[in-house]
Amino acid sequence: MDRNRLKTYRTRLLIFLAVVGPGIITANVDNDAGGIYTYSVAGARFGYSLLWTLIPITIALIVVQEMVARMGVVTGKGLADLIREEYGFRATFLLMICLLVADLGNTISNFAGLASGLSVFGLSRYIIVPLGAVIVWALVVKGTYEFVEKVFLVACVFYIAYPISSFLAHPSWSGAMFNTVKPSFQLDRSYLFMIIGLIGTTITPWMQFYLQSAVVEKGVKIKDWVYSRWDVIVGCIVTDVVAFFIIVACAATLYTSGHRDIRDAADAALALRPLAGHAASALFAFGLANASLFSACILPLATAYYVCEGLGLESGIDKRVDEAPTFYWLYTGLIVLGALAVVALREQMQVPIILLSQVLNGIMLPFVLIFMLRLSNREDLMGAHRNTRAFNAIAWVTCVVMIILTVLLIAAQFFQGMPA
Amino acid sequence: MIYFTEIQNLPTYDVMGSYLGRVTDLGIDPTQNALRVAVYFVEGPHKELIYVTREQMQSITVRSAQTSVTRAGIPSSKPFGDLLRVRKDVLDQQVIDVDHRKVVRVNDVDLEIQPTGGHTELRVLAVNVGLASAVRRLLQGLTAKHTSRRICSFIPSKTIRWEFVNLIEPDASRRLKLRISYERLARLHPADIADILEVLSRDEQRSVIESLDHETAAQAISEIPTEKQAQLLQSIPVEKAADIVDEMAPDEAADVLQELPPETSAKLLADMETAGAQEVKELLGFEEDTAGALMTTEYLALDRTATVESVVEAMKEFEGSVESIHSVYLIDDQETLLGAVPLARILLAPARTSLQELSREEVLSVRTETDAKVVIDQFRKYNLLSLPVVDDKQHLQGVVTADDVLDLVVNRR
Repeated sequence: MDRNRLKTYRTRLLIFLAVVGPGIITANVDNDAGGIYTYSVAGARFGYSLLWTLIPITIALIVVQEMVARMGVVTGKGLADLIREEYGFRATFLLMICLLVADLGNTISNFAGLASGLSVFGLSRYIIVPLGAVIVWALVVKGTYEFVEKVFLVACVFYIAYPISSFLAHPSWSGAMFNTVKPSFQLDRSYLFMIIGLIGTTITPWMQFYLQSAVVEKGVKIKDWVYSRWDVIVGCIVTDVVAFFIIVACAATLYTSGHRDIRDAADAALALRPLAGHAASALFAFGLANASLFSACILPLATAYYVCEGLGLESGIDKRVDEAPTFYWLYTGLIVLGALAVVALREQMQVPIILLSQVLNGIMLPFVLIFMLRLSNREDLMGAHRNTRAFNAIAWVTCVVMIILTVLLIAAQFFQGMPA
Repeated sequence: MIYFTEIQNLPTYDVMGSYLGRVTDLGIDPTQNALRVAVYFVEGPHKELIYVTREQMQSITVRSAQTSVTRAGIPSSKPFGDLLRVRKDVLDQQVIDVDHRKVVRVNDVDLEIQPTGGHTELRVLAVNVGLASAVRRLLQGLTAKHTSRRICSFIPSKTIRWEFVNLIEPDASRRLKLRISYERLARLHPADIADILEVLSRDEQRSVIESLDHETAAQAISEIPTEKQAQLLQSIPVEKAADIVDEMAPDEAADVLQELPPETSAKLLADMETAGAQEVKELLGFEEDTAGALMTTEYLALDRTATVESVVEAMKEFEGSVESIHSVYLIDDQETLLGAVPLARILLAPARTSLQELSREEVLSVRTETDAKVVIDQFRKYNLLSLPVVDDKQHLQGVVTADDVLDLVVNRR
């Protein structure tokens, strides 16, 4: 390769690294405590047989995330901003309230995940949760955007814990690969609900808001869009690769040994111990704690971002507390309430809040997806970068399927068809 | 007074009392009168739009509106060219509150009903951004208008007078037609303009920058982080960007050019005035984080024979910004640095005094390749406002000023 070509490749790599972040981070937060639990149950209860769903899930995730990231780059505005400008104050306000409540629930479940992940190592939740809350809070309030993003990117690296622990579990790789490419179907109620759960945990309303805001805050230029798109695609693939390894680890051990009922993700880690060894179990639990802490950081942050955006208040971690008071109060409030709920409330009392948050997510998703699709088709907003016809077809199908499945998921939770 | 959200969906009847439709939007024609509603957009029962002009509007109340003509007398094509539309262009959009130097989102628009020459006119008073207007938007359609008025009267309300509102219109041709100017904005302190710019989206930033004069734009851009400066400059036409960079202090200009892709900065340099470009090019040659990269080439240096009188003359002819001068430097015909005299000392001396007399025996200076850390230390140790930079032959190359050092220290934290 001649020197000039080498230089262009190097420049491209540098631009990619400058643009990378929002996509990968958003996609990884998706694997939060709830996500890891869902994947663990999928592996423990159904072995490798659900792995094939990861491919369509990845495609759906890429389609939806690509759309919001593109909107962020082209318009330079957040999703909440755009919804406010196009659909008015009331629609935005209601959406923001729902998101606020849903994200409080998600924050609680992540602090709970942090507590149970570290309880595997014998650490008390009364120490871990307040400590985690302080770390999360200080990171954002005292850090700059660049610093926070670096910390988040490092946290993404720790998801490597799952591939390693799944290797330690000595799965049947040929079986796993075979089931990944070959769709299989069981006409069993709990199997179908499990599929819905897997999809439902993947595309959530808040992610769209977060990703678009993060892309805007990063200031990605239209001409660097191609790199941003790769950031999104790589992120989505990484997410589902992690999901793959979680399912494989649980399938190889819990499903094979018949230990198929687990209560939470930490339960899965504990159950791995006699089957895959201490190291695998510890890594699994560490992964859970990392993912929970990571998501507990980003969820309140994302919520503060888009609520302020939608209501026209100043936001951004580059602002000082007195410049963007509502932003910081929302962020602090969510963390404090989330941590308090885990420390003070018994588990039975946390469950309804977490359940409500899932339901709200489900109710909002159709609105958010439809808003997104309509906005990204607007010529005056998107110009040459609006959706192509083929893309629209895929996106609409994705949306409709997501909406139907989410409705089913909510119904399932009420009828106790499966624990989600 | 009446709020736009109360007028929205107001049932409209013609002079015979037959139903026309509901008001969906109000149009203002800025070429005629920027404070007056010129057209009412009324949507009929079959989704058809009709346009009631201001002269045709007989009366408006919180309950209904009535025209002074029959349906047949109302044009169904838009009677004016470019209209500023209250719902489409103002409501829920971001506007600049010049008075409070920030960007806000409009919750409602306050209007006044004014009987004028046999018909009723609406005048725009203010945009409403407070909590009260937010609550009213939420209650809209759920309670009767007078109930929501009563509820909202207990809640603090915040308005910005229409004259102090700067609308942001990214489309340059439309902006011209709507006569949107950023005259008031341009009068703010550049640092405040910079704060406002940072909140806006890329297109909006571009529109504001394009409408400011070069000098104001350059000052405002200088106040935002270099990375964002580069993003902004790339989004505006090269000629305009070159003019703006030309107006920036040479060291600032060099910093931002360094941040731009090589082909863009080359284009900008080519488009700049030769003198400005030359200075910037010289600065671009220095390693990052050295005195050479930190310094500006805008300084006042006089021959060693100069007197206090001649300083005043020299300052009048000085092309850069006079505010940045803290000291006058003495050089010989080889540009060798011989001395430095603080401005305050010159001010107090009699007119005929030679500067050499006022100069200290030893003048502090650093070399162009001196590390930025050493420069910071010098400033701290000697409480400096500025520090001359010389090459290996003691020839004066530029001056580092305290504000650049402060930026450096703050950013390092």
